[in-house]
Amino acid sequence: MIDPLQIAEDVVRKLKKEFDDVSAIINWRNSVMVKLWNTEPSVTQSWINTEATIYLAKNKRVLQVSLSIQDPEKIIDNVKKSITTLERLEESELYAPLPEPKPWEPLEGLMDKAVIKAIDSPKEPAQEMIDAALQEGADRVAGTLTLSHERRAVATSKGFSGFEEGTSVEAYLRAFKGPMSGHWSFGSRYLDLRAIRKVGSKAGYFASITTNKADYEPGKYDVILSPLVVGNLMNYVGFMASAAAVLMGYSIFAKFKPGDQVGDEKLTLDDVPRDSELPSSAAFDDEGTPTYNKPIIEKGILKNLLHNSGTARKMGAKPTGNAGLVFPTPWNLKISTGGLNEDNLPKELENGLIINNNWYTRLQNYVEGVFSTVSRDACLLVKNGKIIGDVGRVRIADKLDRIMKNVSDLGRALYMIRWWEVRTPTKAPYVLIEDVNITKPFA
Amino acid sequence: MMRGDRVIGASTEAKEGVGIRVIVGGSLGFAATNNLSKEGIKKALNAAIVRAKNVSSLRKAPIVFSADYLGKVSYSVTLKKRLEDLSVEERLKLGKELWKEVQSSVKEAKVPITMFEVSTSLEEKLIMNSDGGQIHSLIPRVNVGLNVVLLSTNRGSLQRMIELGGSGGAELIDHWEVRDKIRDEVPKLENVLLKGVEPPKEPVDLVAGSEVVGLIVHESAGHPMEADRILGREAAQAGESFVKPEMIGSFRIGSDLVTVVEDPTIPGSSGYYLFDDEGVPARPRYLYKEGVINEPLHNRHTAKIFNTTSNGAARAMDYNSEPIIRMSNTYFRPGTSSFEELLEDIQLGVFMKSYMEWNIDDMRWNMRFVGLEAYMIRKGELAEPVKNPVLEVTTKGFYSRVTDVGKELRFYPGMCGKGEPGQGVPVWFGGPDLKISKIRLGVISK
Repeated sequence: MIDPLQIAEDVVRKLKKEFDDVSAIINWRNSVMVKLWNTEPSVTQSWINTEATIYLAKNKRVLQVSLSIQDPEKIIDNVKKSITTLERLEESELYAPLPEPKPWEPLEGLMDKAVIKAIDSPKEPAQEMIDAALQEGADRVAGTLTLSHERRAVATSKGFSGFEEGTSVEAYLRAFKGPMSGHWSFGSRYLDLRAIRKVGSKAGYFASITTNKADYEPGKYDVILSPLVVGNLMNYVGFMASAAAVLMGYSIFAKFKPGDQVGDEKLTLDDVPRDSELPSSAAFDDEGTPTYNKPIIEKGILKNLLHNSGTARKMGAKPTGNAGLVFPTPWNLKISTGGLNEDNLPKELENGLIINNNWYTRLQNYVEGVFSTVSRDACLLVKNGKIIGDVGRVRIADKLDRIMKNVSDLGRALYMIRWWEVRTPTKAPYVLIEDVNITKPFA
Repeated sequence: MMRGDRVIGASTEAKEGVGIRVIVGGSLGFAATNNLSKEGIKKALNAAIVRAKNVSSLRKAPIVFSADYLGKVSYSVTLKKRLEDLSVEERLKLGKELWKEVQSSVKEAKVPITMFEVSTSLEEKLIMNSDGGQIHSLIPRVNVGLNVVLLSTNRGSLQRMIELGGSGGAELIDHWEVRDKIRDEVPKLENVLLKGVEPPKEPVDLVAGSEVVGLIVHESAGHPMEADRILGREAAQAGESFVKPEMIGSFRIGSDLVTVVEDPTIPGSSGYYLFDDEGVPARPRYLYKEGVINEPLHNRHTAKIFNTTSNGAARAMDYNSEPIIRMSNTYFRPGTSSFEELLEDIQLGVFMKSYMEWNIDDMRWNMRFVGLEAYMIRKGELAEPVKNPVLEVTTKGFYSRVTDVGKELRFYPGMCGKGEPGQGVPVWFGGPDLKISKIRLGVISK
């Protein structure tokens, strides 16, 4: 049995005399992923691993050592090999002493024993997800089911020691019916079979929603984005809220400051590390700072950038419990709800497009927020409150801040989304956005 | 990592572990661990077997591999200068010099941000399998990255990410002449920012620069010709392909001038290998040949389904990753024309030399590339700069319009993502400059 906290504390104890600051983060996991194609498993992948990340500072020089090694002696040996690298560096622009330990409140409800039990026998939940999609009329499905048991420990040379243990589930499915497809996902700490069946049934629902094909012209459309698309775009916004992204030229928030209006007042985006049901929940960050839930954007106003102690010192702010040793990151994201009735999205939209899923979001310019992303799965043309047909793959080519400013309404329900294109777990609703620029390729 | 001329920090990484793949009860299992004790490896093997068996009843037919010749060799890349000879001090010096070059290269625009990274890595891999393959390889790589933001009070900002990479030793840094490249490119980017005009609204001839061509062939020839995508194995992640098995060898995708090659054996390349991660010998593959869809990339699983043998495209990012079909170095085969010859008959057109934003749909059909350094072509000569011309075109629409092919082949490094969990593997993509006839260009949303 691996004890990550003991490894972390050992490493810090043996290294702290030689450095001004040491933080050791040890992650252990036992994980299984069933990958599906053509309605059957293509591969069942397993990982039983221990990863170590050691942060070292001396004379304001900063080095991060990442090791896929679990033997504490080997960790120490590898770190010692890196000492000359550290000594030959120059002072870091983002150096700050590690924070003094503060009391932290453990999170409840991170574990689900049903997940641990299912790791060696993942067939039942995989079967449930497949069957639910087929029952909705899908011809075939592809997707993944991942079940994980994880332990995480952080120890610092300031005396912080913290340990967390939890489970996680990630399920997503793409269902096909003829040329149509639909997609849905679920990310949680718990093996909720009802939610997993819903992944299948929602994917099957979107694959079966219409058999009509429709054409479209490029231009401005009112668009309802599904929680998958909202999750993808808000993952980019969450990344850009990192103070390091701002400093390094990877953020639209480089041109704003807290207090500026960056979105419609209906839009609130929170970083929620203390939401236990989301898979990346954590009670303390990689520097030992206690985490807390906080708005990144509140009622359209930029409220907080995400800091570790280094970026906080540089920007005259306080650490926000989001270390990331060099690059602060959001833990989990949560978006506000509104009055949009998802039981009849076409009527709510009246005219425009409903987009089930997207991928390949890329930016021409991070600072300006100029981006495009491509739809996949159902993309429905709606006229006079009725679905005319599926238009196939379209491209949203717009600006992230304009998308946020044009939010017109949000759904009443939040979905826990995590999949290939939404890596930061996100509670997202459907969102109606006005005047979105849609393009079309030259044939 | 440096921001401007200031150091942010440095990082080192060491990974060691074992990945085990099994076929059990017709089901494919994979398990990875970095617990290298006998007990740890046994536990991983057991997980691979037990978990694959557990879901085997969901399979309709057993997974079977093709019968291939598998190598028993050891090979490595020869270094002229050891990686450790690229000292910390030299790395810092390079970062500072590049920052100075950027600063002194602009006249009016400001440079609010530059980010610089230089990295070196050494990958040692031993592949052994029960069919007799045994491959030991040692591959060093070097990469340099520079993110530059230029800002004008009246004209907004422009962002460029410059990347250089390949397999080899520290000598690559000198070989790339990075300082000269920055000195040459940054003033041109400033010119685009300050003076760039919109592209013509009507369809015009386009000369796509080799950097743009390289990315286009990676996205619209390499990816759709991965046999696992064609069969649907990546359907829920990176997607499927417009290519169907019956199109291979007969479907015309472009003009006779279009030949796209995939070749892992190019010395010095980022995607270099001589045997793949199933032990199959590497060789050049002609994905599109003279305008026709020709040969997909195979591993031993897809080869069996296609009733052929593997052409050595299985790669794993590291011990923690199952080997899947990947590109290595993908390029458009060069022709005979000089750059001047590509331009000479164009009365009104656009030359798109570099790009920033790009994407393509999950069938690899509807693609978009937004130009960064670009110029009008007037009466056969380069003229004023063009800002952000948008090439948004179908795969067939692009390749069908290739009417002339440059003679100079250039390569560019990239990190190609695929698989679940996502695996990033180093690749090169490249080509010559291409002439594309009469195509409509767009502008980015204002």
